[in-house]
Amino acid sequence: MTTIQNYSDTQLPYQNQYQSAQADAFHGVSSSDIDELLQGNPNLWRGCDMAGQGVQGRSTGFPQLDAILPGHGWPDRGLMEVITPHWGMGELQLLIPLMRSIVEQGKWILWISPPYLLYAPALVQAGINTDQVLVVKLDTSCKDALWSMEKALQTENCGLVLAWQNWLPTKVLRRLQLAANTGDTLGVFFKHHDSEHSPSPVRLKIEDSYSENAGFNESEVTVIKARGNFRSRSANINLYQQA
Amino acid sequence: MKDPDSEAQLPLPYIAPESGPQVIQLPARAKGLAKQKPSKAAMDEARVKSVAKRSKPNSLWYALYLPQLRELNSALQKKYLDQLAGHMQSVSSTVSFHPQALICEVRSSLKYFAGIDVIHQKLQKLVEEQLQQWDLADGFFYAASPTVSGSLLLARSGHNALVYRPENLRSALGQLSTDVLELNKEQRRRLLNMGIRHLRDIWRLPSDGLCKRFGSNFVNQLNKALGKAAEPTLNYIPPPAFAASYDLPYGIENLDRLLPIADALLAQLCDFLRRRDLSTSSLVLFLLHEKRDSTEINIGLRMASRSQQHLTLLLKAHFDKLSIPAPVVAIKIEVKKFDAFFTKSDSLLKDESSGSPSYSDSNLIQFIEQLQARFGDNHVKSVSNATQHCPEYASLQLNYKDKLNRRGRIAMPVEVSENPRPLWLLKEPKQLNINKGRLFYRKPIAIVSGPERIETHWWSGIDVCRDYYVARENNGSRLWIYREKNGKRNWYLHGFFA
Repeated sequence: MTTIQNYSDTQLPYQNQYQSAQADAFHGVSSSDIDELLQGNPNLWRGCDMAGQGVQGRSTGFPQLDAILPGHGWPDRGLMEVITPHWGMGELQLLIPLMRSIVEQGKWILWISPPYLLYAPALVQAGINTDQVLVVKLDTSCKDALWSMEKALQTENCGLVLAWQNWLPTKVLRRLQLAANTGDTLGVFFKHHDSEHSPSPVRLKIEDSYSENAGFNESEVTVIKARGNFRSRSANINLYQQA
Repeated sequence: MKDPDSEAQLPLPYIAPESGPQVIQLPARAKGLAKQKPSKAAMDEARVKSVAKRSKPNSLWYALYLPQLRELNSALQKKYLDQLAGHMQSVSSTVSFHPQALICEVRSSLKYFAGIDVIHQKLQKLVEEQLQQWDLADGFFYAASPTVSGSLLLARSGHNALVYRPENLRSALGQLSTDVLELNKEQRRRLLNMGIRHLRDIWRLPSDGLCKRFGSNFVNQLNKALGKAAEPTLNYIPPPAFAASYDLPYGIENLDRLLPIADALLAQLCDFLRRRDLSTSSLVLFLLHEKRDSTEINIGLRMASRSQQHLTLLLKAHFDKLSIPAPVVAIKIEVKKFDAFFTKSDSLLKDESSGSPSYSDSNLIQFIEQLQARFGDNHVKSVSNATQHCPEYASLQLNYKDKLNRRGRIAMPVEVSENPRPLWLLKEPKQLNINKGRLFYRKPIAIVSGPERIETHWWSGIDVCRDYYVARENNGSRLWIYREKNGKRNWYLHGFFA
């Protein structure tokens, strides 16, 4: 009925006419309301538009990184993969602000078989309460590591679970993802190689970079994949700004 | 057993025959009223009174007095009496403690044991055996009478006496010296001055006068002994014990199939704990094999629990890593340690902003226990900072369990160097090569900042004297390297700024 009425109104250019028809079809719902609806629903995913997506993430502590992550920060739960060609590229520096906020929440950080000794003075310098840090040292199997990771992800009090595993089957990752969702926790894998079809919602890569003004001080952080991002984006960040 | 009371040697009456007509002694007025109109209240009152009257002669208290305990300290006395009370429970369910003495009610067990002599012989054997074990003199005094204090006085006086009837109590106690009464110096002196040597002398005196001169406690003590005053006792309650077992119809090798059975046993345990308002922090599960030693699974809990779900989870974690040498034919659960049960109270208003203090730790504790159950205590570490200048010793990795014990003791302020410290430390410093005049690890290394001089531990023989630098490897890694100041002046890699 409304279209017929609008066609009769011949004065308007075609474009306007169409828009008003649309607007009338929504019975006076303005475009800002629609935007609100679109923004508010995290299940709606809109192509390359990565603004907000309704999920407000936890700030990473690095403004440049916040800018390229959907939700302007780390997701609240789920799995993340941090890929570095070798250890010591600042992969933990990247998570220090996150760790700090998790510890402040009263939650624990679990380190599952880290490759080297975790050094307490550095944690204290970074402002992380070592009372809320637990290390599981396993020299045995990957199975045990995954078992503890799943249990930890299901435990609400473990805010962050860190593990060093290079290659994991998709099935295992899906299972861990589910565990992280039930426990409302965040799990991070540190790996050397990227696996393209990994189901983890966030994959980051840290690479060495050199620029004229910053020298070697900055590293290139690439968000290979993030739920809500259309394409990979990268930013140059000085990860050692605290040090 | 020598009985001063020949009349009482007759077979025991369960209810003294005299107690029948004496039952109701209502005041005259009340009696009249009751006759006219037997109201329900009056009937109730009469019944209560009759019960009270009848129940009194119904008890017979057997006292066991051990003067040799007097020389021991109170903790040891308590321990010995506790054990003896356990033995005494074999003849009576009501056992109470008194200084160097134990008292049990035996009237209710007379029929079962066919007489007081059997009970006495049974106890004598048990007590003498036990005393020999403790290397104590094996003599003891005993007495039985219708009141607790009466038996106690008779036993203390060294009369191994048996008094069945309350009306004979007065004469039996009368021949005792006043020394057996618990009196202070002043009271003792006064009694002596009054020429009173035996209890029978006291019986002759008016009680209100006695009350005035010696206090109500004194009179009360005597009234209790005579059965005129009520005498509540604090009974011995044996410590709880739980053991449950299940015999399997055939040997089971698959632990997964054992889990439901173990679960059922745990359910029994939790039921037991709930009924007694207890919880447990240590239990053992035995898997019995044929012709082999049983497999023991020790389950220790950081916080006492009685949640079946939690215990089952822990057991599952134990089962996961357990390999059994032979099929299991039976399964047994024993509790090693009982604890009082404390419930957690939740706060009325969820305080999300302040976070840490209100956060409930129970989930986490369960999780950590599961980790410990699966991997052992050595694999669950906590990290803590130590106030040490030498980098190797500045970080401690303690077993989580040990740290909990330590936490109470150490409350030092955390002091950390202002200089950069890496998150990863190598277990052993790794020597670096010098390639074409440049430091080389995997790739050439360039120094970013430094040096930081660390000189320490000269007192221990391992002289630590190093210059630390932050360096950058050509591939982007940040390294923590040092150069020895003495000796060969070699370069070492000590950590990564991950």
